[in-house]
Amino acid sequence: MLGYVAIGIPCGILSASIGLNALQVFIMCALFYSGAGQFMIPNMWIAGSPIASIIASVSFVNTRQMLYSAAFAPWCQGVSKRLAFWFSATVTDESFGVNLKQFELGGWSVERATFVNLFSQSSWTVSCVVGVVVGNAIGIPLAIAAFAMTSIFICLLVTQKMSRANVVAAVTAMIGVFACKCAGLSGPAIFIGAIVGVACAIVYSRLREAKRP
Amino acid sequence: MTPITWPEFWIVFGICAVTMLACRVLPLFVLKGRELPERVSEALGFIPSAAFAALVANDLLTPGMFDAGLWPAAAPLVAALVVVVVARLTKSLLWCAVAGVVAYALLMMI
Repeated sequence: MLGYVAIGIPCGILSASIGLNALQVFIMCALFYSGAGQFMIPNMWIAGSPIASIIASVSFVNTRQMLYSAAFAPWCQGVSKRLAFWFSATVTDESFGVNLKQFELGGWSVERATFVNLFSQSSWTVSCVVGVVVGNAIGIPLAIAAFAMTSIFICLLVTQKMSRANVVAAVTAMIGVFACKCAGLSGPAIFIGAIVGVACAIVYSRLREAKRP
Repeated sequence: MTPITWPEFWIVFGICAVTMLACRVLPLFVLKGRELPERVSEALGFIPSAAFAALVANDLLTPGMFDAGLWPAAAPLVAALVVVVVARLTKSLLWCAVAGVVAYALLMMI
């Protein structure tokens, strides 16, 4: 919960730096509800990325939620469709871990898990909106705001599980971005770079599988 | 940078929200308890590393970045290294943001 406040307020401040107002940030928190996504939109906007590129990149990162949804599917058997919908629509990286652990321990229900999700979402929404108000009041220089977002992405990258294939994905994605920029494709660089990284990691893990006796 | 307008906001936010909802809800209803194919979940697992690396690279690397001299381009890279250390030690997004901003501001003053 405190984690949401600690990150929601900076997210609100940074959202304010690209001209999003409190209502827009509230709508995003209520209907989109994604920490990484809500940092990516201002970050790419400041970098001058075209709208199509922002949408493609954010949607690409959204697809990781399919893993979470699939992991919860067995526990949602037999609950009403409406509850299953509410529960799955409010899953995030953070609450996924908490809920999965509780389900595995037993004695946990989809109702309780949904309550955890909605509580997390409320604290996230309130913190982000407070952040917008704070951001408008203090007016952070753009270069500083931009570097705060870079720092957050560095943290998200460094705290990933550092398997060899993941390192291959990260390094080749970086090379892909740089290559795109050299070729004058700075708009779709992030999207293309990320796809190059995933493709290289898949090829790498296939090659390792093939080598295994 | 021009501030984002309402129509732009609706386009970006609307499409991102729809893809997010689809990714969150569809697998649960479509799979009905079966597991995702191994290849698919493996590929999905690579996305965060690749995407965050791409975002970092996009912010830190630009062709010809050293043309204006070593330091203006190297300062953000040094600040980024500080963030890497803080991230490994604390695993906290907040501390990383604070450390990054402070390091960046201090290095820019040199």
